[in-house]
Amino acid sequence: MLHLGVNDIRASYGALEVLRGISMSVKKGEISALVGPSGSGKSTVLRALVGLTPITGGNIEIAGQTIDYRSARSVRAARDTMAIVFQQYNLFQNMTVMGNVTFAPIKIKRRPVAEVEAQAKKLLDLVGLGDKHGAYPDQLSGGQQQRVAIARALALEPKILLLDEVTSALDPELVTEVLDTIRRLAGEGMTMILVSHEMAFVREVANQVVFMDRGEIIESGTPREIFDNPKTDRAQDFFSKILRH
Amino acid sequence: MNYTFQYGVVWKNLGELFDGAILTFQLGAVSFAGGALIGLFCAALIAYGPFILRLPVHVYVVAVTNTPALIQIYFLYYGLPEFGIRWSSEACLLIGLILNAGAYLTLIMRAGFLSVRRTELEAGQVLGLSIVQQVRYIVVPHIAKSIYPAMANFFIVILVMGTSIGSLIGVDELTGQAINLSSVNYRWLEYFTVVALMYVVLTFIASVGLALLGRWAFRVKARIF
Ligand SMILES: Nc1ncnc2c1ncn2[C@@H]1O[C@H](COP(=O)(O)OP(=O)(O)OP(=O)(O)O)[C@@H](O)[C@H]1O
Ligand SMILES: [Mg+2]
Repeated sequence: MLHLGVNDIRASYGALEVLRGISMSVKKGEISALVGPSGSGKSTVLRALVGLTPITGGNIEIAGQTIDYRSARSVRAARDTMAIVFQQYNLFQNMTVMGNVTFAPIKIKRRPVAEVEAQAKKLLDLVGLGDKHGAYPDQLSGGQQQRVAIARALALEPKILLLDEVTSALDPELVTEVLDTIRRLAGEGMTMILVSHEMAFVREVANQVVFMDRGEIIESGTPREIFDNPKTDRAQDFFSKILRH
Repeated sequence: MNYTFQYGVVWKNLGELFDGAILTFQLGAVSFAGGALIGLFCAALIAYGPFILRLPVHVYVVAVTNTPALIQIYFLYYGLPEFGIRWSSEACLLIGLILNAGAYLTLIMRAGFLSVRRTELEAGQVLGLSIVQQVRYIVVPHIAKSIYPAMANFFIVILVMGTSIGSLIGVDELTGQAINLSSVNYRWLEYFTVVALMYVVLTFIASVGLALLGRWAFRVKARIF
């Protein structure tokens, strides 16, 4: 069943076209990984999905419904379906860990406070921050903030989770923790798009790998196809460099 | 020097000085609160508004911050009646101080607006916050924290320097009250030493109150002295 369809989308920052016709489809319960060199437009794809970067061409559909990014209601519906974890976490600095996780469910979704807090406790336990409820972001390490951001996204009970380099700022031990969290979500059937440089992890969890360069998709396929038999020189070149690390 | 200090007459009129101190505090607080609202509104306009609205805000800020508060209040008190607008001295003082504070607080708050991280606003946006909710839950707490010390200092300025202008147009705040009382019996030195002390106490109370408020509400580690 097709869950998310990205059809030939384009996006620009000023005169610079950073997405030049990106298409991909994500099935329910599957994990797609966006990989590629820095600046290739991976983050921009995720930002376009949630309506932070406007698309100048193409369209995006969820469960068969095209999102109209000019309509506030349509964007809201899209944001109800998807939750994004940013590369730089983007936590609310003036709120505690608990406040960050519970804010949108309570204030925006208007769910019962007790229920949301109970859920938030479980999520914070899940990401290994059960003892940090009252801490403020500036009292946490980068890795801890990253995990708060994951818990905050999960508290929205999204159908599709967008993860942008969620392990890039983490120590190796924490990488394992966060990857375990993602693995667990995958096991629970969460649909995910993740941007990652952890090729071993991508190979393990992803159903589909999309290799991007300079705003275009160069190759996409199963991890085995992409990693073991890249068809293009650019993909071969990139993977030979990155896998040698 | 053969001046003998006689504080007896001051003690007798202490009640009136207290009334003046209370009025000073009220004037300071209301001016500050009014100015803070104007400042928030104007700073938001400068940060997010269209050019046609930003321009008059800039004109207002430049005009007010580059002229003395005394002149502005004199204009309201002596100038406006020429145009048939006659306000009481209290109203002139209050309106003048509010407009004055509004301009300075616009500058202070603008710095706060500019330092809000765009990424935090984006996070709010994708979580479904409207623009008003973003201002309320992200921008205001942020600027409150980042510019709190500057705001608190400005409150003291308004409280001491701003309100005392009232004495020149007949408002019976602390300085005005001291001038009234001492002109009856010429005990200037006595009155003004006591009044100076009262100002010190007033600003001390305000500083401690503001520091505690900041620590409690915004996690600001303000020094009291
Ligand atoms: N706010 C912005 N203004 C102007 N250009 C931008 C902005 N954000 C990104 N870009 C440009 O858009 C292009 C794509 O950026 P993007 O962040 O999507 O890359 P990425 O693949 O996520 O890279 P990385 O792996 O370094 O995170 C880059 O050339 C970048 O310089
Ligand atoms: Mg990126």
